[in-house]
Amino acid sequence: MDNDLWGTTAIVGVGETDYVRGSDRHVCDLILDAAMEAITDAGLKPADINGIIPPPGYMSTEEIAAHLGVPDVAYHVSVLMGGASPTASLQTAAMAIAGGLADNVLVCMGWNGYSALRPKPDARPTKRVMNLGPMGETVRNHYAPYGLMSAAQHYSLYLRRYVETFDIAEDAAAAVAIACRNHAQQNSKAVMRGTPLSRADYDAAPFIAEPLRKFDCCVETDCATAVVMTSLERARDLVHSPVVYLGGAEGHPEPADEIANRANLLELGIHRAAPRAFARAGVSPHDIDVLEIYDCFTYVVLLQLEALGYAEPGGAPAFVADGNIELGGRFPVNTHGGLLSQGHCWGLNHVVEASRQLRGTADAQVADAELALVTGYGDLGDGSIAILGRDR
Amino acid sequence: MRTYVPTPEWIVLDWHHACVAAGLLCIQRCSGCGRWRHPPRRFCPTCQSDGASFEPVTGSGSVLSFAVSHRSLDPGWQALAPYATLLIELDEGPRLLAATTSPLGEIEIGQRFVVRTEALSENFVLVWADPATGPRNDTVDITSERQPS
Repeated sequence: MDNDLWGTTAIVGVGETDYVRGSDRHVCDLILDAAMEAITDAGLKPADINGIIPPPGYMSTEEIAAHLGVPDVAYHVSVLMGGASPTASLQTAAMAIAGGLADNVLVCMGWNGYSALRPKPDARPTKRVMNLGPMGETVRNHYAPYGLMSAAQHYSLYLRRYVETFDIAEDAAAAVAIACRNHAQQNSKAVMRGTPLSRADYDAAPFIAEPLRKFDCCVETDCATAVVMTSLERARDLVHSPVVYLGGAEGHPEPADEIANRANLLELGIHRAAPRAFARAGVSPHDIDVLEIYDCFTYVVLLQLEALGYAEPGGAPAFVADGNIELGGRFPVNTHGGLLSQGHCWGLNHVVEASRQLRGTADAQVADAELALVTGYGDLGDGSIAILGRDR
Repeated sequence: MRTYVPTPEWIVLDWHHACVAAGLLCIQRCSGCGRWRHPPRRFCPTCQSDGASFEPVTGSGSVLSFAVSHRSLDPGWQALAPYATLLIELDEGPRLLAATTSPLGEIEIGQRFVVRTEALSENFVLVWADPATGPRNDTVDITSERQPS
């Protein structure tokens, strides 16, 4: 596809805090730490940044710029797709760069995902909250009164449908939980490093919302991550080998603001994003070397793998079996441990990990990784995709 | 038992007011093309008419899916855990969530239910679904999603 957008920008800096359950750090400090690390990692200074995409809530572009010392913000935008936001932000950053609106764009995410509900006794209090965006109204008015407050409960409405439609076995997603936990054992920052997960542990865990058991659910974490993007041309003069943004897309189910009245409960945003993303990047699913799949819940990984074309509908349980998604398998998934076991940073940690894989510097490195695919998933089924590659 | 009762606004509030006034479930219906729709929308997604009214429905419907929650952040619901929440497709077409009196283990996709409303305030009705007699509804059965999308 001829254009001036896809394949013309690159990730040049990455930053991440520790992933912890209970932090002594204020959420704003977490966000700024990750942002400064990403800028420094790129060999840039805050004054070089002139585009910012802030987290969905917690902290504004204006504050981030002022605290970092960014003197001239030429472009900023907020992306509100829940957990699909950070990965969708990459395409917006690329558009701003390719369109000449900004040169170096900072994309950041950070939150007190654990401490917001369970602060340490001596933690500094905060009034900072996430921007619930489009899902807030629906949950407040239509779901919470029926006892469905959490994402696990909302998604269980369509996961039940998935399980019954395709006769999915009760242990179908165990391989996803265990692969992520295994990978986390090799990741220096993973919150679950040192806490292996056995199949017996998985099976013995209680249900949260059927079919989701405890270890099908990701870990609430305090953390922040950030990346810096620039043009591929400028990237070639910077510190690291560029991680090229080959293509990306977002997609939304119809309607996106509620689940019940979708013609097909199992058609999510990523089903619409996937063909767009592969066409833009000019690659096919089987070209990809490493998959960083948004794993708020294991079954959501299964649905996404099918949407991406790695399995027919109902076929993902066979795809994830037999070590296929483990390090050393044909399609390693979530080599950092994912939201399930590294920590939950809304999938920008997946972008950081994919970037390290393509630089060849990941803790759990996939040999000769040249192409990586990242997904985001959020709100009531919005989806986003980024396809990243080594510079040729 | 429930500790959370919202006070909706805008057209969602209009819907609850219609249900409270009628004492039964009403659903928005397009005055342009006659189609039923839910949740309330400003324009008809089919004909784009902005004329609509809330009209009583039969209350008959079928289970399209359901959630079984073993934990809840709401103390009232937590006391009932595990509990089911039904996703009901009304015979008129629109779908909505409903609390149910049906025991866990007796709920099946396609099963027939009849819904009723309980006014929890003058601004909010909760929808309940009770098992109905009659054959299961195979039109909501699990065939539609077998087609690759």
